[in-house]
Amino acid sequence: MSFSPSVPGPPAGSPPAAPEARLPLPAKAAGVAAFFLIPVVLQKAGLGSAPYWLDVLNTVGLYAILALSLNVILGHAGMFHMGHAAFFAVGAYVTAVLNLDCGWPVLWTLPAAGLAAGLFAAVVAGPIIHLRGDYLLIVTIGIVEIIRIALTNDVFGLTGGPNGRMGIARPTVFGFRITRPQHFFYLIWFSVAVSLVLFRRLELSRFGRALRFIKEDPVAAEGIGINTSRHKLLAFVIGAVWAGFAGTIYAARMRTISPDSFNFSESVLLFTIVILGGSGSRRGVLLGSFLVMGLPELFRGFQESRLLVFGAALVVMMIFRPQGLLPPGPAAYMLPPPWDGAPGAGGARNGAFGGGADEAGGAGGPSPPAGGPAGTGTSGEGR
Amino acid sequence: MRRTIYLTLAAAIGAALAAPWGAAAALAQEGPVKIGLMGPITGQWASEGQDMLNVVQILADELNASGGINGRKVEIVVGDDGGNPKTATLAAQRLISEGVSAVVGTYGSSVTAAVQDIYDEAGVVQVATGSTSIALSEKGLKLFFRTCPRDDEQGRFLAATVKDLGFKRAAIVHDNTSYAKGLADETRAIFRDSGVEEAFFDAITPGDRDYTATITKIRAADPDVIVFTGYYPEAGLILRQKREMNWDVPMIGGDATNNVALVEGAGEEAAAGYYFVSPPGPGDIKGEKARRLLEAFRIRYDALPSSVWAVLAGDAFGVIAEGMKAAGTDGPAIAEYLHSGLQGYEGLTGPISFNEKGDRIGDVYSLYQVDAAGRFVLK
Amino acid sequence: MDFFIQQFCNGLTTGGIYALIALGYTMVYGVMKLINFAHGELFTLGAFLGYLLLVTLGLAGAVGPALGLALSIVTVSGLVAAAGHLLERVAYRPLRNSDRLAAVVSALGASIFLQNAIMIVWGSQYRAYSARLLPAVSLDVLGQPIPLIRILVFAAAAALMLLLWLFINRTRTGLAIRAAAIDQGAARLMGIDVSRVIAVVFVIGPALGGLAGLMAGLLYGQINFNMGQLYGLKAFTAAIIGGIGNIQGAMIGGLLLGLLESLGAAYVSVAWKDAITFVVLIMILVVRPTGLLPERVAEKL
Repeated sequence: MSFSPSVPGPPAGSPPAAPEARLPLPAKAAGVAAFFLIPVVLQKAGLGSAPYWLDVLNTVGLYAILALSLNVILGHAGMFHMGHAAFFAVGAYVTAVLNLDCGWPVLWTLPAAGLAAGLFAAVVAGPIIHLRGDYLLIVTIGIVEIIRIALTNDVFGLTGGPNGRMGIARPTVFGFRITRPQHFFYLIWFSVAVSLVLFRRLELSRFGRALRFIKEDPVAAEGIGINTSRHKLLAFVIGAVWAGFAGTIYAARMRTISPDSFNFSESVLLFTIVILGGSGSRRGVLLGSFLVMGLPELFRGFQESRLLVFGAALVVMMIFRPQGLLPPGPAAYMLPPPWDGAPGAGGARNGAFGGGADEAGGAGGPSPPAGGPAGTGTSGEGR
Repeated sequence: MRRTIYLTLAAAIGAALAAPWGAAAALAQEGPVKIGLMGPITGQWASEGQDMLNVVQILADELNASGGINGRKVEIVVGDDGGNPKTATLAAQRLISEGVSAVVGTYGSSVTAAVQDIYDEAGVVQVATGSTSIALSEKGLKLFFRTCPRDDEQGRFLAATVKDLGFKRAAIVHDNTSYAKGLADETRAIFRDSGVEEAFFDAITPGDRDYTATITKIRAADPDVIVFTGYYPEAGLILRQKREMNWDVPMIGGDATNNVALVEGAGEEAAAGYYFVSPPGPGDIKGEKARRLLEAFRIRYDALPSSVWAVLAGDAFGVIAEGMKAAGTDGPAIAEYLHSGLQGYEGLTGPISFNEKGDRIGDVYSLYQVDAAGRFVLK
Repeated sequence: MDFFIQQFCNGLTTGGIYALIALGYTMVYGVMKLINFAHGELFTLGAFLGYLLLVTLGLAGAVGPALGLALSIVTVSGLVAAAGHLLERVAYRPLRNSDRLAAVVSALGASIFLQNAIMIVWGSQYRAYSARLLPAVSLDVLGQPIPLIRILVFAAAAALMLLLWLFINRTRTGLAIRAAAIDQGAARLMGIDVSRVIAVVFVIGPALGGLAGLMAGLLYGQINFNMGQLYGLKAFTAAIIGGIGNIQGAMIGGLLLGLLESLGAAYVSVAWKDAITFVVLIMILVVRPTGLLPERVAEKL
């Protein structure tokens, strides 16, 4: 794990204990607010193409959610997983079937979609979780292919074969029907924000620290009593559940889903987003989503050579930033300040030193009080 | 470090916002009439999309030369769907934001399915040109039309042809694409009613290239005809490998094999005798209008359109222009006119009227056979 | 029984091509621990260079089928080997000491780049290998007619594999490759020039992949720019089944995959054939987590 060069040297004006050049909370809040005002600004500007650009942002957001969930498996647990589209597909199809065949409102299918994707992940990942890197990689590719073939062959008579399912209902939130790109913008980016906050908390939790330890040194982690298989499996399931949720949102937005949308290339795209942005880093993954999903839209003019340039850019970026564009900070955990019930004061710095380099949105809420250095804090697990 | 991401994000958003500004400024109130063309300009079906664009552009230029629509010039706005539903939704949003009130296209059925609702909600008329899936016109969308026939019509014609040719035991092979599966299911159902026995029904994987295992399996089922509902590359490979195995069972296909590349892939000896059903190819269309278009196409691009779908895009443009002349540039008004006002409009591929579902009324299929020199001969 | 023999022969031909491509994956992986995702595109490049020589330039017509074929074999393997070497220089060498996932993404990027470069040069249409170099006759194998071209393709694949096996096991360079595959550091200490080994591996692997492309073109008569994607994935699967890093394993894995596909299609379902293959792959890996013939590495503690 390399040290990010910008970690030492706090900028003037921040307390010495602050580990990073963090933006003050108000600035961050202002940034988030400004982002959520984009649709309003676009509308007010009378821009005819506003819906188009909002839709591009929606695509970016959707992939950000997916990539964040993959990040738990690939970035935190360090498992070479190139089959995330499979869980995404399970979620989307569960939503389609429950909505079309059982008449559930779309957003009510969200828990079921996540649950189904998670269950599926638990079942398939159980026997393969112990495979070494590249063997796991091909197996996860295999799972995506099996899922796609099963969906195409209309398994259980529910998936509609190659046509997929059409006519999924529009989602409603408190009676408000979400139809236009600007509506979806709020739904999707609100979900991105929730994902960012939750995944941050997950990373700082005991579970997250154990995962990082397993990734750095599985033998030592096993040695101090962490049940590595169980942790890896759980990471897999968490990532899958979240991908299932993303599947619901995708189905609601597209209204038509077909097996082609969940193929191997889709998994490769997600894999690329995570590694390119910075495996293990939420900010990196967010940036990766913007680059991988957004940039090709900006280059619509050069259709034919668009992907040529994209491929070359991937090579060049990896050569110059092998850790990704925004790699996570070093894993140095600080003993938490004595728990004196003052989360307001401790909130900003609770949890991590360099870990702070690693968050994108959300005010750093208080992390769970139980902490300590990654090693000893987990000794109770896996017995 | 932290600042970098905000700066990058800001830059990305800024770029995203700045890019369309020029386009918005150009959006004047009383400019030309904008008609969208959505097609696969890139990707796997790029040659189809580019022909669509070429045909429509020729017709638009002609129309402008003769005064345009009610005195206003026509401008074609292109939206590339890449043959991919996800790209297509963005392309559709883009066309809508450019202010079109009607769209020509597109080719793929799954692509059309992904954008139908977007156009419908925006009040934009869509006239599809190659999307033959049945489900598309069964949703009750008032603004959706198509100039191409539906799969069930092709299935009926294909099944009837197989029976007419005297075959009794058919092996049905598709490739698990939306189009081929639909056609195979349709044909299969009619075979059951009409007494043609089904010897085999299964799907190959496009791109595999080696279909000998499948052909060997079909051979063991002993059919007297192979009905293949997929696309021309795989049809060519099957014909070739079937011949290499010294098996001379006849084969018949659907309109997606109507492409000269079929013969190149199979070789002339292997392709000879192959049947397919299709709307008449560009070279076989009669009528003065079509002749003029093909002449103009040849002059401008030094070739004929490689398939009929591009010509059907020309018909879609024709009915939209007709609708705009009669009903103005309001989407729903155009649709209203196309449903009830437009009767027997003289299109490139014959008279055009639409039923209440937006499907074209009338019979368009013919039977073709490949001759020993690799030419497609109308039967 | 006839049906089985026929299907077995069908499977062996496909398997032979898979095996040739799989060798490229496995050799590179053995030495560098890198999955060369661009290998499938080198296969495509071989097919298109063969098209350029045999169809566009009409080489076979100019100098006769036998000499034309021999010339194109030499030229295609040479050019694809050069391309592979260049690929290693540009996309992989700078990442030799970086995180492995960075190299994977670089490989994916190189794959996208090459595929689109081929599309821009030769177009997105299907191209036909119209040059008929061999008479379309069939030979009798165990009472079954098998097309001559299939027998020749399988024989060529087998001969290439035998040559490679001799090279790896009977030459000093082969010994160096085996040593570097087991432990690069120790090999370096023993005076082996690991950079040279990597260069050799990146010449042989692509050359075999390019030849496989040429053979696929001759056998199926139809090529297009993204054909390497599917073949690459299948060959990678084959390499994993055999135990990636192990050369015999790649040969066995390739043939096994070909047989699995044809027998799966024959006895279960054509539409589910690829799913069956992957299920078998997963089952093999559950029982033997490093493939049938695992590479020889000491698990690092």
